[in-house]
Amino acid sequence: MEQATPTLEELNTLIQMSGTINMEIFYWWCIALMVIIHAGFLSYEIGASRLKNVLTAGVKNILAFAFIVPTFYFFGWFIYNGFANGFTLDMEAAAAALPWSGSMGPNISDNATGIFWGAFALFAATTASIMSGALIERTRMSAFIVLAIILGSGVWILGAAWSWHPTGWLTTQWGFHDVGAAGCVHTIAGFFTLGVVINVGARIGRFNADGSANAIAGHSMPMSVIGLMLVIVGFFGFLGGCIIYNIGGQWTNIYGQPTTLSAFAFNTLMGFAGGLIGAYLTTREPFWMMSGGLIGIVSVAPGLDVYYPPLAYVIGMGVAAAAPLVHKYLVKRQIDDAVGAFAVHGFGGFAGIVISGIFLSGYPNMGEGVPPVNFLGQVGGALVLAVLGFVPGYLISLAMKKAGVLRVPAHAEERGLDLTEVPAEAYPEWALTGASTTYISTETAAPSVISAEAKPV
Amino acid sequence: MSSPITSWEGASSVFTFADKPGVMALILVVAVAVTVAAIWITVRHEKHSYNSPMTKK
Repeated sequence: MEQATPTLEELNTLIQMSGTINMEIFYWWCIALMVIIHAGFLSYEIGASRLKNVLTAGVKNILAFAFIVPTFYFFGWFIYNGFANGFTLDMEAAAAALPWSGSMGPNISDNATGIFWGAFALFAATTASIMSGALIERTRMSAFIVLAIILGSGVWILGAAWSWHPTGWLTTQWGFHDVGAAGCVHTIAGFFTLGVVINVGARIGRFNADGSANAIAGHSMPMSVIGLMLVIVGFFGFLGGCIIYNIGGQWTNIYGQPTTLSAFAFNTLMGFAGGLIGAYLTTREPFWMMSGGLIGIVSVAPGLDVYYPPLAYVIGMGVAAAAPLVHKYLVKRQIDDAVGAFAVHGFGGFAGIVISGIFLSGYPNMGEGVPPVNFLGQVGGALVLAVLGFVPGYLISLAMKKAGVLRVPAHAEERGLDLTEVPAEAYPEWALTGASTTYISTETAAPSVISAEAKPV
Repeated sequence: MSSPITSWEGASSVFTFADKPGVMALILVVAVAVTVAAIWITVRHEKHSYNSPMTKK
């Protein structure tokens, strides 16, 4: 049977459609990998919690994800598209992102909006999860949900519109360059978290009257370490989502500059390895080593597209070696960031952007009149994003504190939040002995300590 | 009818009620309301839990 030869136009349509579908597939799997970030945060926060707070930490983490997705649909995506110029709304650019737009749902002539919205929703959920671990064991669930929505569907995405957008003002006016979102995700989340942690206060027993600190160990460091490794796995989806798949053309970064996934592979892995070693050198312990790996990636994120890989390795190592010292300084100031979120993300992101100002200066930006990457632009951008994170985090949590809705009552904190809030038991073979919050094995305990009274309702 | 189309030929937005802005608005308002309500229910759950005699023991 004779087959008709396709015309050039038909072939072109086929190639175009094939490219469009490949683009969708690429971001689909980036989204799936980013969900692993949340599996990681879940495991790592549960491990960092004491037995009496294990399930509450898990519920809090799951709810952050659950509330970010719809709120990012309601208004987060609109903010990203509408506020690239600062606080002035560009309604023309944002119209297609309104939740009643024809692009904001199944649309067979639009293969891009949903998949990009999905990737950004996952970036948003990651940003909120960064804050989550710092607040464990004493923050009200409702307060956390509200703060997570403000950070994940509001503050970070405004920073992304300014600094991680082809027409964001930090880039078009100052030449800002941050391909891996060290600023809008990590710096903003870290500084927002710092503002909240200051107001929520330390866990009971963390500090003594003379100002000295007591270590509050989580119930499972192995669980935390595995969780951190999962976060790292998920970051390959996160960073994949930072690169633009152009049908029939070379990859570009979010600013439109040409790049490759190979560039990201070189520098992500070298930064990761450097971070692991850097944190090992200053701490010798696995929780900080894995955090160090993450710091290594965060600190090289601004220049993943252009760093010489050994330079990424050295930057990752240096920033990760310093981060535990930043955490120690916070402890000295009696600031109880339970998992070192500020040191990892706030300091790691901020330092990474400042360092990138030294090494990336001179790289040309796209667009007429846009200045090239320069040191002052990078430092200025880092400062703007740090302030954008810290100010709302501090002020909103201060208002919540004054209203008495930020922190759980002392008696609930002492008894444990699982017993207070969660109608399930993390480890049913173990029984809570009462106000002391000590757990003992049900196999060896006297029947009196395994009373029904002690079980959560 | 929730379908906005009668044929797939030349269709673009195919989600339910895409051609009925009033219904879309109503569903959107309900979605926002249940999200806010979920936070409010969390607040009530906390108040109840923290005041429970068992918790205070």
